[in-house]
Parts: sequence; structure tokens; C-alpha cells
Amino acid sequence: MSTAAEAATAIPVAAPAETAHKRPYVYVFIALAVITAIEVYVAGLSYLANLDRISILVLMATTKASLVAAYYMHLKYEPRWIMLIPFGALALVFVLVAALTAAAGTVPTTPLP
Amino acid sequence: MAEARVRRHREVNVHHGTPWPFVIALGAAVGYVGLLVSMPMLVLGVLVFAVGAIGWLRDDVHTVPKPFYGVGAALESRLPQVSARKLAVWLFLATEVMFFSAIIGASWTLRFRTSTPTNPWAYSGQILNVPGTAFVTFILICSSLTMVEALAAIERGDQKRLRIFLLATMLLGITFLAFQANEFYHLYFADGLTFSSAPYGVNPLYGPTFFAQTGTHGAHVTAGVLALAYLNIKAWKGGLTKENHETVELIGLYWHFVDVVWIFLFTLVYLI
Repeated sequence: MSTAAEAATAIPVAAPAETAHKRPYVYVFIALAVITAIEVYVAGLSYLANLDRISILVLMATTKASLVAAYYMHLKYEPRWIMLIPFGALALVFVLVAALTAAAGTVPTTPLP
Repeated sequence: MAEARVRRHREVNVHHGTPWPFVIALGAAVGYVGLLVSMPMLVLGVLVFAVGAIGWLRDDVHTVPKPFYGVGAALESRLPQVSARKLAVWLFLATEVMFFSAIIGASWTLRFRTSTPTNPWAYSGQILNVPGTAFVTFILICSSLTMVEALAAIERGDQKRLRIFLLATMLLGITFLAFQANEFYHLYFADGLTFSSAPYGVNPLYGPTFFAQTGTHGAHVTAGVLALAYLNIKAWKGGLTKENHETVELIGLYWHFVDVVWIFLFTLVYLI
């Protein structure tokens, strides 16, 4: 049950209604779908060196994740400081990946037949 | 006198939300200890957790979201433009980033350390169904679009489109889970990819790392589908309005995060 007092203290919504419908959600969706199709194609390219293929695929995945975070998770429309939270976590992930990669030395993947 | 007490009781309820989260936390604590100590304690914890969750849903499903007080209000005043609840969800998602990084990092470390020419990791498409998984990746991307469109709808006050898009999001999530359950079943029982062995002479650690990464993600999708079920019921009961609909955005953040995790898992597990 909502009361007048509750309505008066309602949490303000960050995105004004008049701007919400102008956001390019469908374009982002098309970009995500197209990149996914390209990813599947690139994964099957046996003439690419393993490291090249991995680099291209990780780059495309990062692009897709950035699009989702920026537009669907509204990071593009939020105050800039909130990015400190996900980027803080990503900094720790970077340390983890760097440590694991340094320890392993190489990237052993099985070549495509 | 009695009337004044009832009024005071109502005011207390309005300003202090619900006690059920404490019951849920108690159930989780008892359950986790039970996981280490004894099965009956685990069952007790799960039951207390379920009672707390049902109680909270019963309290909440008919009401529009209420603002937070206390610590939440203090945070909102210090960090303007982002509500305390949204901040809390972002902090939670940051912990989830670390959680998934640990699982993916552990899997890749095993791959680095144990993969040899005679005991190789599977190449893309050797064991896993890449085209089928690409299709459900597309399904999950569709669900992200419908989720964000549900938020855009309620920002305009469009209840009908809110309900349609929320329902579509939940159904797409269930489709993803159904595919994954079917995939797990076939891999385990038909193809021989188990927790200790793999077909085609592939490294036996391939199975456990595959199931750990995709299974953990599947558990998160399941939690997201449950959250969407709650959101659907709330939408149909009229508990979301143009003025008060932050819950849609918060559950949406979680749902999109699960999509982001899958974007990386699809590449790291299925394509590389």
C-alpha cells in the first residue's frame, strides 16, 4: 500500500522518462548479434595462428561486454564515479590474469585440425 | 488507545521495511555451517531461508518500492544521483566479477599447467556444440534487450509493455537454462564428458573445468529467472509504477551482468 508520505520520499529515478526512449538499445542488440556471428566464424578459421585467433576473439568479447555495460547497464548515463566500482574489480582481475599468465609462460591451445 | 497503537504499528512498518531479510540471513548462516558440519543442519538452514524468502515476497509483492533510511540515506546524501540500492548492487556485482574471475582463472591455470600434446585440451567444436551454444548466446542477448525495454517501458509508465517484456525476458532465460540442462545431460551421459574423464583422448580436467564454469553461470541464470518471476508477479499485481520502479533497474543490472559473464564464457570455453 502506497501512501502520500511514501510518494513524497520516493527514490528519484536517474533516467528522465523523456530521454529513455531515445537510447540506442536496438542498435546495440544488432551489434551484439553481428559480433557473435563473426566470433563463431573466426573461431573456425584454422589458418589463423592460435594467439592471433585468441586475441581477436577476446577483443570481440570485450567489445560486446563493454556495449552491454555502457548501454544496457546504463554506465554511459550514470555519474562517472560509479565506474570506479566495476573498474576497481577489473583492476584486480588484471592482476590475477597477469600473475597466472606470468606463471604459465605460454598459451598452450590445441590447433584446429 | 488501541487505535493509536495500530497507527503507530503501521508507521513503524512503513519506516522500517521488513524483518524477513534477517530470517534469510539466519537461514543462510545455518545452512553454510550445516554444509560443513551436518546434513540436518543444512536442511534446517535451507528451510529457514525459504521461509524468510517467502515471507519477504508476501510482504513486498503488493507494495511499490520504498526508499531506504539510515545508512542508505546517508550514502545517498554523500554520493548524489545514485541511490544506495543501486550502489549496493554495483558493489555486489564487483564481488561477482572477482568470483567468476577466480573460477575462470583456476580453469585456465589447469589448462596452462596440464595440457600436453599427448593429453591435450579439446579444440573448439571437438566436444561442445558451438552452433547450438551460439544460438542460446543470441537468446541471452535477446533477453538483455527485452529487460532493458521493460525498464524503458515503466520509465514511460507503460504497464502493458512492462509486463510483456518482463515475461519475455523470463521465458528467454528459461529457454537458455533448458538448453544448458539438455547440453549437460548429453555431454555427461552420451558423450562421456564427466567430472573425471573426457572423450577423444582429451585431458580429463577438461570436463570438471567446463562444468564448473558453465554450471556456476547456470546457477546465476537460475537465480536471475527466480528474480524475474518475482518481478513478473509484482508487475501483474501493480507493484511497479512510473514513479517507483527501481527494482526493475536493479534486477536488470544483475541480469545484464549474467549476460556479460556469458559473453566471456562463450569465448573462453566454447570458442578458444
